[in-house]
Amino acid sequence: MRGMALTKSVAIVGAVTLLTSGCLSSGTSSGSGDSSGGTAKQEVSIMFGFGGDQTQGFKDSLDPWAKTNNIKIKYIQASSFDTQIRSSVAGNNAPDIALFPQPGLLKDMQKQGKLQPLNDVLDMPKLEASIVPGFLDAAAVDGKRYGVPVSMNIKSLVFYNKPAFTAAGYKAPKTMDELTALTDKIKATGTAPWCIGLEAGAATGWPGTDWIEELVLKQSGPDVYDQWVSGKVKFEDPRIKAAFASYAKIAQTKGNVFGGSKSIVAQAFGTAANPMFTKPAGCFLHKQGNFVTQKGFLPESVTAKIDTNVGVFPFPKGQFDTVEGGGDLAALFTKGDANVTKVLKELTEDPTFGAAWAGPSDRGFLSPHKDFDVSKYGSEITRSIAKGAYSATGIRFDGSDTMPAKVGAGSFWKGMVAFTAGQQDMATTLKKIDESWPTS
Amino acid sequence: MIKVINAILAILSGVLGSLLFYYVLNKVVERLPKKWEKRLKPYVFVGPAVLLIGFFLVYPALRTVVFSFANNDSTAFIGTKNYTDLLGSGEFVSGALLNTLLWMIVVPAVTVVFGLAVAVLADRLQPRAEKFTKSLIFLPMAISMVGAATIWRFVYESRPAGTPQIGVLNAILAWFGVDPVAWLQLSQAHVNSLLLMVVMIWAQVGFSMVLLSAAVKGVPEDTIEAGRIDGATEKRIFFSVVVPQIWPTVITVFITVLITTMKIFDIVYVMTGANFNTDVIALRFYTELFTNGNNGYAAAIVVMLMIAIIPVMIYQVRHFRRQEAEG
Repeated sequence: MRGMALTKSVAIVGAVTLLTSGCLSSGTSSGSGDSSGGTAKQEVSIMFGFGGDQTQGFKDSLDPWAKTNNIKIKYIQASSFDTQIRSSVAGNNAPDIALFPQPGLLKDMQKQGKLQPLNDVLDMPKLEASIVPGFLDAAAVDGKRYGVPVSMNIKSLVFYNKPAFTAAGYKAPKTMDELTALTDKIKATGTAPWCIGLEAGAATGWPGTDWIEELVLKQSGPDVYDQWVSGKVKFEDPRIKAAFASYAKIAQTKGNVFGGSKSIVAQAFGTAANPMFTKPAGCFLHKQGNFVTQKGFLPESVTAKIDTNVGVFPFPKGQFDTVEGGGDLAALFTKGDANVTKVLKELTEDPTFGAAWAGPSDRGFLSPHKDFDVSKYGSEITRSIAKGAYSATGIRFDGSDTMPAKVGAGSFWKGMVAFTAGQQDMATTLKKIDESWPTS
Repeated sequence: MIKVINAILAILSGVLGSLLFYYVLNKVVERLPKKWEKRLKPYVFVGPAVLLIGFFLVYPALRTVVFSFANNDSTAFIGTKNYTDLLGSGEFVSGALLNTLLWMIVVPAVTVVFGLAVAVLADRLQPRAEKFTKSLIFLPMAISMVGAATIWRFVYESRPAGTPQIGVLNAILAWFGVDPVAWLQLSQAHVNSLLLMVVMIWAQVGFSMVLLSAAVKGVPEDTIEAGRIDGATEKRIFFSVVVPQIWPTVITVFITVLITTMKIFDIVYVMTGANFNTDVIALRFYTELFTNGNNGYAAAIVVMLMIAIIPVMIYQVRHFRRQEAEG
């Protein structure tokens, strides 16, 4: 009679689910770990979005610690982090800890009630003293912190071909005016001053948003920036418009960019700087994050001797001198598990964490701790970038990553592409982005 | 090792379990009076399958329809707002919707015409040359859409003027001293969408050719001969004798390609990422669900897609039945 019972129960379950399809799930469904309390998992799962060398560096840093503490780490490398974290959380299969590259997505998860606040879990005064200023609040909601940085990158950087730059007698500009003057000076020689590339597969456009963010920070300062990122200052605001105008002046003036402004959106961001290292140089300046020094970006012949071939200067200051950066923010899904907390503490509170990630080979990693031992970094250029970041008065997290994903990973990217390629004028671009801002 | 054992156990218990399940059910039914046994037996065997399909296909589809009337995190009903919002936004209508429509108009028709042309022309070649030609044209079928899109991205690749052009099209232009063209940015008159369709056609013509070729070869020789004796031209024979006899296959190919086209996602995702006004419905659905986290819009978009596909499906099922009845 087993079969009968089975069919019957299947039929009943089917009928019940069909009948209930009229109801919606209650929005307050809890995160995976809500039920657990006072547990200590043997295996702690961590999901993250970086790949390749970075993943290896991360494992190299965490594995020895995990071994001595007798905790097994389950590394979940998500090549498409935003998609994967959304579906894992929706499927009630969230990792214990996730390293969010985008505070915007993190806040979205928080809004759904999936994340645990970290104020009582971590030693906040210690972190405040140790982490570079401005980074701890990238993922704060209503005064509570939901994400704490594990790694960092600095975006306010301009790279150049050291030998060619020096031979031509150019000097690193200290102010925006000097930068404009340098741009014009290089252009007058018949060489394009800049190399810019916005192509990044499905994420095409983000390097363009970095430009705007940089200019907003330098021209209007961190306060306007924060309001802009949180939606209180619109894209159509004159201060944001000014940033777009400055960007257009650099990117769209004839002769300013290698290949012309139309080719910017077709150039892959990772290899856009390569013409800088041809003979004669195709361009002299390239704005990009510090991660461009790691393997796989610049030509191998250049990275082999990176410190002699590549020079860098901070993006010159305007009215303000706030630095733009990014990073991976650790967020907690599992509540009250002793081992998960232990791992989270190691990732975020230990200022020596990441030493095996930082060197000996340069993997584009920067520690967000000001007291991190800079001698651990794999190259002089990264060391100088880190020193600059640790002494900076203020750092802001990448704005597009912090905005709601619909804007920051959608209309802002697409807007930059259409605007840069000259397919859409500034007014339309700004209006469209503002319209896409989610209302709720 | 444990994983392998687990997999084997799972397969064994699955297969044996369902065997046992049907065996027991069958035994149970056989104990009933003859009349009831006859009545119930078909349901015993069809029932579980129908239930499973209901679970995994009908139930999710119904849920999706329900979600399409709810807000972005599916916590409250908001009526038809998702639909009115989407259909009221020019970006969706003149972007994703219009592009998908263009895909539906162009791709299946061109695929059938090309497939038929190749099938008919190859039919007149030496057997060995015919095999070679057909294999060559069928080859792209073996490539996944993402692979095909990546390959074609290189075809359309545009590098700044003065640097070596690695894209075939721009390399040819460079020979003639013409500046490179950023092909995938040509959104005027949807040229870039057409260039993306080329990829799909390239990948699907093989399929269309194989089916149509079989159909062409199945046309009875005597009907063609009769036409010739009556003095019909080759053109007349093709359109009045061959085409009517292979029409059912033409329809099948057309509809299969049409449905694939309506669901097109990978080519656009890989090649332009919906930039330059190349968005299509399936990609828009993905963006709404995974990037924007808007369940309501995403559900509404797939429901619209489903509604659009239903008539095509009904037509195909009817067509299939008619064919079976005739055959």
